[in-house]
Amino acid sequence: MPETVSTENSHSADAVVRIRGLHFSHGDRVIFDGIDLDIAPGRVTAIMGPSGTGKTTLLKLIGGQLRPSSGSIRVHGEEVPALNRAALYQLRKRMGMMFQSGALLTDITVFENVAYPIREHSRLPEALVRDLVLMKLQAVGLRGAADLMPSELSGGMARRVALARAIALDPMMVLYDEPFTGQDPISMGILVKLIRELNDALGLTSIVVSHDVQETAAIADYVYLLSHGKVVDHGRPEALWDSSSDWSQQFLEGRPDGPVAFHYPAPNFREDLLHGGRAR
Amino acid sequence: MLDALQGLGRTTLDFFERLGRGHLFLLQTLSKLPGMLLRPRLVLVQLYSVGVLTLVITVVSGMFVGMVLGLQGYNTLVDFGAEEALGVVVALSLVRELGPVVAALLFAGRAGSALTAEIGLMKATEQLSGMEMMAVDPVQRVIAPRFLAAFLSMPLLAAIFSAVGIYGGYLLGVGVLGVDDGAFWGQMQSAVDLRDDIYNGVIKSIVFGFVAGWIALFEGYDATPTAEGVSRATTRTVVHTALAVLGLDFVLTALMFGE
Ligand SMILES: Nc1ncnc2c1ncn2[C@@H]1O[C@H](COP(=O)(O)OP(=O)(O)OP(=O)(O)O)[C@@H](O)[C@H]1O
Ligand SMILES: [Mg+2]
Repeated sequence: MPETVSTENSHSADAVVRIRGLHFSHGDRVIFDGIDLDIAPGRVTAIMGPSGTGKTTLLKLIGGQLRPSSGSIRVHGEEVPALNRAALYQLRKRMGMMFQSGALLTDITVFENVAYPIREHSRLPEALVRDLVLMKLQAVGLRGAADLMPSELSGGMARRVALARAIALDPMMVLYDEPFTGQDPISMGILVKLIRELNDALGLTSIVVSHDVQETAAIADYVYLLSHGKVVDHGRPEALWDSSSDWSQQFLEGRPDGPVAFHYPAPNFREDLLHGGRAR
Repeated sequence: MLDALQGLGRTTLDFFERLGRGHLFLLQTLSKLPGMLLRPRLVLVQLYSVGVLTLVITVVSGMFVGMVLGLQGYNTLVDFGAEEALGVVVALSLVRELGPVVAALLFAGRAGSALTAEIGLMKATEQLSGMEMMAVDPVQRVIAPRFLAAFLSMPLLAAIFSAVGIYGGYLLGVGVLGVDDGAFWGQMQSAVDLRDDIYNGVIKSIVFGFVAGWIALFEGYDATPTAEGVSRATTRTVVHTALAVLGLDFVLTALMFGE
């Protein structure tokens, strides 16, 4: 178990992740335009929003892989953008992240992938490493695939291995980027249950990024809806369903028209067609 | 006109920005090298894939280059009745120039391009990001051992290239063209100087190994993380390494043998 829980900044200590006034841009494109967000400990918090709103970007900001242009991101009371490398790595050992693409190391087997963080950060005897890895793989239903190479896995399987790897070090917080995409109904159901059970049994804090509204709402204690660089709505899932916001209603029910734009920002379609020859 | 100026400005800025990133990357890599002492296995694995797998092409090329040198050298020398000096010509050309330079060019084509593609793909598939999130420093874990392997194997490959080349020259000159055996080796031994020739050649190959490893790894690490970006980075590795090696060879030669 991780040793230290920072007691610094105790007035907001009840939030594991506390984001205030977050601004971030990729070049000229503004991704976040002033976001406030709190992740409560021991809960499953879902972050939902249309494709391309910056959900993955938000997880990378929390993990310290990207730096905000302004605003504060506190994780366990530590200001992430201000941490030096060593402190950041110390913090990351307490976080597990499941990447959208899986991000498995392609030159080693599934078993070695899950063993990787354990071997890197501890000096456990081989027999113990083996037991730990097999336990994690068993949890995601892929113990039988331990000797396969990542190239021999389907997308959904790769993501489950990535999940096993994310929890390999028994972190305090796990960030899941689209855990349900590409899963068949059965493994989806198992994953949904697994995320919830891991959270409760191990006392984790979980952040689930997803657009699978039903599944996510089923396990989330709290939901944030992001769009256009802002938090458009947040609350307990039941409350959101009854929300008066048109935006939330449209997104949660998946209706094609409403305030949520399906299109990436673009000039007027008619203009674009008529002036088709212009330089892009 | 203004557009052209703007373009020029942008290109220049981009160039210097990349140059800066390249040097920062180098510093970061160098600072991780001492840590490699604790993880010699990582370096060994890379020495195999960077060094040993480049061995075959080095040996075969060295043999051909040596035989060509033997043939060309003999044809020129025999006009002056100096074919006894064939050993000297072959050995000096190889040890001073061709060994380090050609071995470095082969290295860029065989190992450098592979390193760039490997690192670039790891970046494109988020493996490097994934390591960072597992609190594993990719520069320490992935880049530094490869750099060290390139740096260590280059002088060895160059030496092997020269040795095989000399043997190729010997086979052709003595075996086929009938140059005197004793004269071939004897003249070589008295004419090749340890400090002036051998050491200078070794220094060259150390410099080339450093540069080839740096370029290959930086191009991969800095590649645009797409299939196209990686393929362009791979091409750049080969082109830039070749230019850097040939340019540096001129500078080093001027410094060493200039006077
Ligand atoms: N390296 C980059 N350079 C420039 N723009 C980027 C870069 N990475 C992402 N973006 C932009 O940032 C926006 C947010 O990307 P992000 O990957 O965070 O979206 P997302 O919410 O995770 O989407 P999805 O649900 O499809 O995974 C996108 O509109 C994308 O165009
Ligand atoms: Mg995403």
